[in-house]
Amino acid sequence: MMLTALLIVAQVAAQDPRLERLDPETRSLVVAVVDSARAAGLPTEPLVQRALEGATKGAPGTRIIAAVRRLTVDLGVARTALGPRSTAPELDAAAAALRAGATPQLLSELREARQPPLTMALSVLADLVASGVPADSASAVVLALAPNAGDADLVEFRRAVERDISLGAPPGAAAAVRALNTGIRFTGADAGPGQPPPRPPSRP
Amino acid sequence: MFEQEDDIVERVIRQLRRPVSIDPGVDARVMHEIASDAAPESPARRPLLRSLPWLAAAAVLAAVVVARPWTRGGNGADAFQFVLVAPQAASVSLVGDFNDWDPARSPMQTAQGVWATVVQLTPGRHRYAFLVNGVEWRADPSAPRAMDDEFETPSSVVTVGGRGS
Amino acid sequence: MSDPMGIDKVEASDAELVRRIRTGDIGAYGALVARYRDRLGRYAVHMIGDREDAEEALQDSFVRAYRSLARCDDPARFGAWLYGILVNRCRTTGARAARRRRMFVHDADALNGATRPEAVERLEWTDAVDRALARLAPEYREAFLLKHVEDLEYEEMSRLTGAGVSALKMRVKRAREQLQKFLREAEHV
Repeated sequence: MMLTALLIVAQVAAQDPRLERLDPETRSLVVAVVDSARAAGLPTEPLVQRALEGATKGAPGTRIIAAVRRLTVDLGVARTALGPRSTAPELDAAAAALRAGATPQLLSELREARQPPLTMALSVLADLVASGVPADSASAVVLALAPNAGDADLVEFRRAVERDISLGAPPGAAAAVRALNTGIRFTGADAGPGQPPPRPPSRP
Repeated sequence: MFEQEDDIVERVIRQLRRPVSIDPGVDARVMHEIASDAAPESPARRPLLRSLPWLAAAAVLAAVVVARPWTRGGNGADAFQFVLVAPQAASVSLVGDFNDWDPARSPMQTAQGVWATVVQLTPGRHRYAFLVNGVEWRADPSAPRAMDDEFETPSSVVTVGGRGS
Repeated sequence: MSDPMGIDKVEASDAELVRRIRTGDIGAYGALVARYRDRLGRYAVHMIGDREDAEEALQDSFVRAYRSLARCDDPARFGAWLYGILVNRCRTTGARAARRRRMFVHDADALNGATRPEAVERLEWTDAVDRALARLAPEYREAFLLKHVEDLEYEEMSRLTGAGVSALKMRVKRAREQLQKFLREAEHV
């Protein structure tokens, strides 16, 4: 059994020499996860990269395995929500959106609302949450913008919200105000009446 | 008392010519803003929303900046530049899923503490960070943060749109 | 780590830096910003009268200059070209800032809580100058600053502002007259 496992590990490692950066025990577990992901038709490159990130950052093997497993689960949920024709970049971005708090339901709605590829829309959603916009607000905003906004529009929207936040605006309000200014009605949880972001305190 | 007219004006001029100290943070903010300009989201091929002229203008500007100094590589990869302002650093590397998280692959060059490098990026979402002095991980202040920092170090995200994403 | 790109060894000219930027060396733009920040900042601060707005205008101008660098026809005159962008940018801020103009203090002494008489007197003079400058019509203030503080020739000023040389000379003259008048009034308060 052990010999078989070692042979399998050797085989896959030979296929992807990058994984040799991991210690043997971690490597064998990662390889197992990657293989089952491949068998399930999920993209494997994001999994390999997550493992390599952990290796470079000196993370313990258990944490690397946990991260790779979690990503695999997210990719699987994303694939179920987005459908079998979704691309690897779409699934990767969808996994990030799920990790940010988007629901599988939202992913499906996004798929209905927008022409593929969905990569940028999903990515912007995750990025908005990363800058502090509550997940339900970010989801609502992206879904509202999805039908008509191009990728560049979404990117500009995200940048505008981030600028407002950096100037002191509460993140949810920043997203709401920007969405309002695009003429789209927004009903997220903390959408206040449209207000400009507060001016920063004056310097001496 | 009654100064010569010209004397008053000359005193004013002397006063106004004195150096004025400007917040040196202006430099960093300028570099951040133009770095995220040259950053990596490429303009969409979809028509822009007509009722959002500011978005259209920004996208055109982004297209101009992205199209200008940067070259189109083969197999769907475009060249993008990353910048970190780190005047105290002795070395900075760009490390991410586009170079297998290998710090040796994309060392950055510096001019007066502004570090930069150019890499090829395929369409999609990429995680990355800067490795400063070989030991300190820094996120990119001008980019969105990666949510899943499960390795307890900050990472940033760049998303490349366009064909194949 | 690799050398800084020769910039610390010999000061690169504006033209050289612009050339590098056009080949993709964004770090070279950082050198230009550092080179011009204080000089242009001084103009913006005096023209706008509000430090925050001035720094924002300065920042905006640098960003705009970078984005339209292709339109800088003569890289050796990058500084003058950049000035033009800043002068125009300060015009749009001026209207906004005028509505909430407040005085700021240049003097380091003031920040430390000056109590010495000379320092107080210098503070008062600084304030008086700022107030007088703020009372000038924007085009007079602009012309006065460009001529007497930034030391530009009238031909250069004409290129930057779009106004004719004789109009600019008249504006500078009026500015001088008004500054005298305002400062005399301040002295007699």
